[in-house]
Amino acid sequence: MRVSASARAAEVVAAMGERRTGTLTVTIGTGCCESTAPFLYEDFWPGPDQEAVGEVSGVTIYAPEYLRRLYPGDQGPRLEVVDELAESLSVETELGVRLALRGTGLDSTDEPQACEVPAAPRRSAPTRSAHPVAERTVVGRPPPELEGLRFR
Amino acid sequence: MADFKLFINGEYVDSASGETFTTTDPATDQPIGEVAKADREDAARAISAARTAFDDGPWPHLPGSERAAKLNKLAELLEANAERFAEAESRDSGGTIKKATFADVPGAASALRWFARMAIEQPDRIELEGSPFPPSKNYVRYEPHGVCAGIVPFNFPLLMACWKLAPALAAGNTSVLKPASYTSVTALMLGELAQEADIPPGVLNIIAGPGGTAGEELASNPMVDKVAFTGSTEVGRRIMQLASGTIKPVTLELGGKSANIVLDDADLDIAAACVLFGTFFHNGQVCESGTRALVHKSIYDDFVSLLVDRAGKIAIGNQLDFDTDLGPMVSRAQAETVERYVALGREEVGEPICGGSAPDALADDLVTANFYRPTIFTGVDNSARIAQEEIFGPVLCVIPFETDDEAVAIANDSIYGLGGGVQSANVERAEAIADRLQTGTVWINDYHMITPERPFGGYKQSGIGRELGTAGYDIYRQAKHVHTNPSTGRDGYMHFAALSANI
Repeated sequence: MRVSASARAAEVVAAMGERRTGTLTVTIGTGCCESTAPFLYEDFWPGPDQEAVGEVSGVTIYAPEYLRRLYPGDQGPRLEVVDELAESLSVETELGVRLALRGTGLDSTDEPQACEVPAAPRRSAPTRSAHPVAERTVVGRPPPELEGLRFR
Repeated sequence: MADFKLFINGEYVDSASGETFTTTDPATDQPIGEVAKADREDAARAISAARTAFDDGPWPHLPGSERAAKLNKLAELLEANAERFAEAESRDSGGTIKKATFADVPGAASALRWFARMAIEQPDRIELEGSPFPPSKNYVRYEPHGVCAGIVPFNFPLLMACWKLAPALAAGNTSVLKPASYTSVTALMLGELAQEADIPPGVLNIIAGPGGTAGEELASNPMVDKVAFTGSTEVGRRIMQLASGTIKPVTLELGGKSANIVLDDADLDIAAACVLFGTFFHNGQVCESGTRALVHKSIYDDFVSLLVDRAGKIAIGNQLDFDTDLGPMVSRAQAETVERYVALGREEVGEPICGGSAPDALADDLVTANFYRPTIFTGVDNSARIAQEEIFGPVLCVIPFETDDEAVAIANDSIYGLGGGVQSANVERAEAIADRLQTGTVWINDYHMITPERPFGGYKQSGIGRELGTAGYDIYRQAKHVHTNPSTGRDGYMHFAALSANI
């Protein structure tokens, strides 16, 4: 597994290096809300099954054996930056951005059209406005099957 | 000016820095409002308020019945405001109004009521019979830990908030709660209900902000006595490390890649519904989603046809419309993550038999790039990355098997063990399989049925500890053994001779 990094990701990691006094580490982790994702931590113990799979702005990128096995050889995603909030403890979130894994080194093929997913009925057609909270409201009634459903 | 402020020491306050962040409706990318952005200083302020409320306030010393009354009042207020909370939850998270109305809000109220019941029914002192050191008398007293931090994810913001705060408060702890930045609105709204329920200042504190600062402070601050977290496995590891500095107990509910096993004797109609519900509910943004369907080879083709036919009937659109089945993903980034995994799947497995992209067209104001169609890959080998890594999106891997033993082996071939299902007409056979699955919850002929009365948590890298049930109450208490020696003469102290008969 080899994980590369975009120029912007390198900038973000370097910026955090300026803001934090401890040793920074990128670890590629797995599971739940962020899927497999990079985490930039200060003074982090990578753990016994982690090995270096790349470097960004002088910061080592680690991945566990479990993931290295899934991305053999030089395969691996690229460290990118998304301008979105995130809930991880990754330290770059204090800049209002989040490191993310993008690209696979693999090509995707054409989009399939095997089954059509219908759009929900357009019973309301709210328009963009400066106050969308007031504009977008609940539409319709609960389905009858759920009306009788009650949590104890 | 923040539309949604931090709730610290019983009051709504701005962040110390005055900074805010914008929370948006993921269906439209339009702003919902500005949220006060807590940093390390705000987290410390909230922790300090919780510390004072615990050390100097009445809360830990109230009878369980009085704490229960406050939590029941909170549940009552939540139910009275159900429509407002459901609408806010749906808009902020992208979850459908159906989910918010019938799962999030009632589930949150139900958790409050369950742990209120625990505070009444679970004794905080148990006299122990038969002392091994007669004539001593012994009892165990159950006490709160102190300040409990709760960090919750974006998928069930209100529900998860109540899963954390309800047992903590019921047991006499005070709490600092941090919802996910994407979805902090309803958790912050709970503050107004806490005021109305007359929960003392500092007992419940709610802050929103980046995990890299506010979250790190919650996990590491020495004034915090316990941390409970739901979210990424890697963040769970980080929290363990940060909490280890002061040996804080942690409760972690982490990732999953759960298997839903469809046996050859299953009612295919119900089993297909269970698999689709188990995978695509809330766009698969559920930790225990059954994203690996293990299907017996003898029914494989028929079953896959059913899945594809019905997946095509799942309606995508405005999450605020009761006729919508799937709203947007929580964020563009999450939709892009799904896209990346689908690309991986195409390379490893081939074309998905349905889905595999954002919807072609939706209502004019909806941002289609934030949505994703239910996607099914068939003939997947369990070693494929899409079968091993948690995608947290609407992507189902269908994996064939021939024997029950093989199904169990495939199901257990994961670093996770959070949920799972067995679909069969033979409950005895299904239970035999369930007993062998290395996972915290198994649903037989059903899926996703989680209730506050039953324990929930993970095996392996899916977590530590159990939430909900009586176990989920006990993790917020610690046992103190009190030994009393009633002896009035030396005869009752023969054991001192283990040191010296001369003392």
